Amino acid sequence: MAQAAIDIRAGELRQQVFRKYRFIDRKWDFMFWFTAAFVVAAAADITRLLFAGDWDFWTDWKDRQWWMTITPFATIIIPSALQYIQWRAWRMPTGATYTATCVFVASWVGRVVQWKYFVNYPINFVWPATWIPAGILIDFLLLQSRSFIITSVIGAGIWTLTFWASNYLMLAPFLQPTNFIGHTVTVADVQGITYIRAQTPEYIRVIERGSLRTFLQEPQYVALAFGTTLAVGGYWIGQFIGRYLAVWPILRYLKQV
Amino acid sequence: MQEQVRPRVEERPPARAPGEAPERPGRGPTDWWGGWRWGFTSLLIIAGIAAALRIYQGIFTFPWGLDSSTWQFFWLWRMLVVVELVGVGIFTVLWWGWLLRSARDLPERFSHREEVRRIAVFWSLIGATSVNIYFEASFFPNQDGAFHQTLVRDTAFTVSHIPMFYLFFPLGITLAVGTYLYGRTRLPAVYGPWKGFPWSFFLLISATVTEMMQVAMNEWGHSINFANAGAEEFFSVWFHWPFVLYGWLAGGIFALWGETILRLTAIEDDIVKEEAEVPSPETAPV
Repeated sequence: MAQAAIDIRAGELRQQVFRKYRFIDRKWDFMFWFTAAFVVAAAADITRLLFAGDWDFWTDWKDRQWWMTITPFATIIIPSALQYIQWRAWRMPTGATYTATCVFVASWVGRVVQWKYFVNYPINFVWPATWIPAGILIDFLLLQSRSFIITSVIGAGIWTLTFWASNYLMLAPFLQPTNFIGHTVTVADVQGITYIRAQTPEYIRVIERGSLRTFLQEPQYVALAFGTTLAVGGYWIGQFIGRYLAVWPILRYLKQV
Repeated sequence: MQEQVRPRVEERPPARAPGEAPERPGRGPTDWWGGWRWGFTSLLIIAGIAAALRIYQGIFTFPWGLDSSTWQFFWLWRMLVVVELVGVGIFTVLWWGWLLRSARDLPERFSHREEVRRIAVFWSLIGATSVNIYFEASFFPNQDGAFHQTLVRDTAFTVSHIPMFYLFFPLGITLAVGTYLYGRTRLPAVYGPWKGFPWSFFLLISATVTEMMQVAMNEWGHSINFANAGAEEFFSVWFHWPFVLYGWLAGGIFALWGETILRLTAIEDDIVKEEAEVPSPETAPV
């Protein structure tokens, strides 16, 4: 009985797939995916820039305490919204990867056109972090679990750890120790001191206080754990955006007075 | 035999309502140079304006854009604010006026073909709004973060604020409201006045209006920050956060795509129903 119902449903879906349309063609797909990329990139980039931008702008701010705490929260919000929209509309587990790819292009355009060629910061000081590996993994988790709750709880941890691991590869050369005016500092610290920032302080002056050094490397793992906790919250903010600001309003109208 | 009774959806010429222009090859409702024409031309126009402004900044910022007390700054930058605001104002009056005035002459009944063309134009306008939001919320904010690290600002009208706040922010309102006016006057099945005001547009228009209003809080916050010892600024500072919160309201743009794709599939269903009712010439008795 259940098999018969599945067969009927499969037949209906097959009819939909092979249905001949008069006006609906692939141009509609192209126009949607292409033009939506701009608003998706914008939403994701502005959320990152204004909630955690400083930690993404400079190599010396990509630290082991605040970067991993704040950035996963700020960056998971819009991928979560797009996961909901794309899963709800097409059962496609691609929302986070789509968002990460859009914002990757947008942020590199911003860093090259504005940071490098407008005000002449070297790109190896202001390169943006990537979210694409993290996006692929939480999309895979949604595909396997088919649950937004599981994706939020486990996916937030995957997002945070993958974000850290994938960007650490790019950051590692800048964490090498060097001697600068008689002090042992990292290459990133030297960049922060050498390239003048009129309004942002060198990060070492703000954050590298006694407690961080006392606890040796522990703050990094504590930050990853706390970043995961915050990212769960960020995921559900994104779900709110996807559910109630993007999908719920479809064909709903305010009452006329 | 089976082949003869199957509805030949693709081969029949699309019906036209009286008064509609005949279809020209390559200018159909879903052709690139037909219904989709504004899809890429509007995008190119907005990107072209942004590129022109970026080149202007590249030429004039470092010689004459750092000290707001000079007469060069007045003519090159403060007057640019005036030009942008007046330009957006004139464009808004002309476009909105045309949308409303020309709607009076539109026939009440129109064909499926014409409605599909209008949906394609509507999607083009949504696309233009989307591209404008990119320049509002990513391209120029990146510049803002970069530029404000290279000078200590002495005015609210800094070089990086001028295109972002006084061109692309108000243009966002113009595009969002203009797209609504297009939908209300051209797509009555979805946005007709008797349906009430759509939530989707309420959210999108709210996003563009509150973003513009947030400029005031932003400058107010910067004036407080200046009073702080050291006058140092974090880009993630608290008075920037409402830009993000208001920007999330633009999620309503996805509802616009959703509403019109549902209408598009309803049109396709109507075509199948209508063709099932009227026998095709091939199956009609001779």
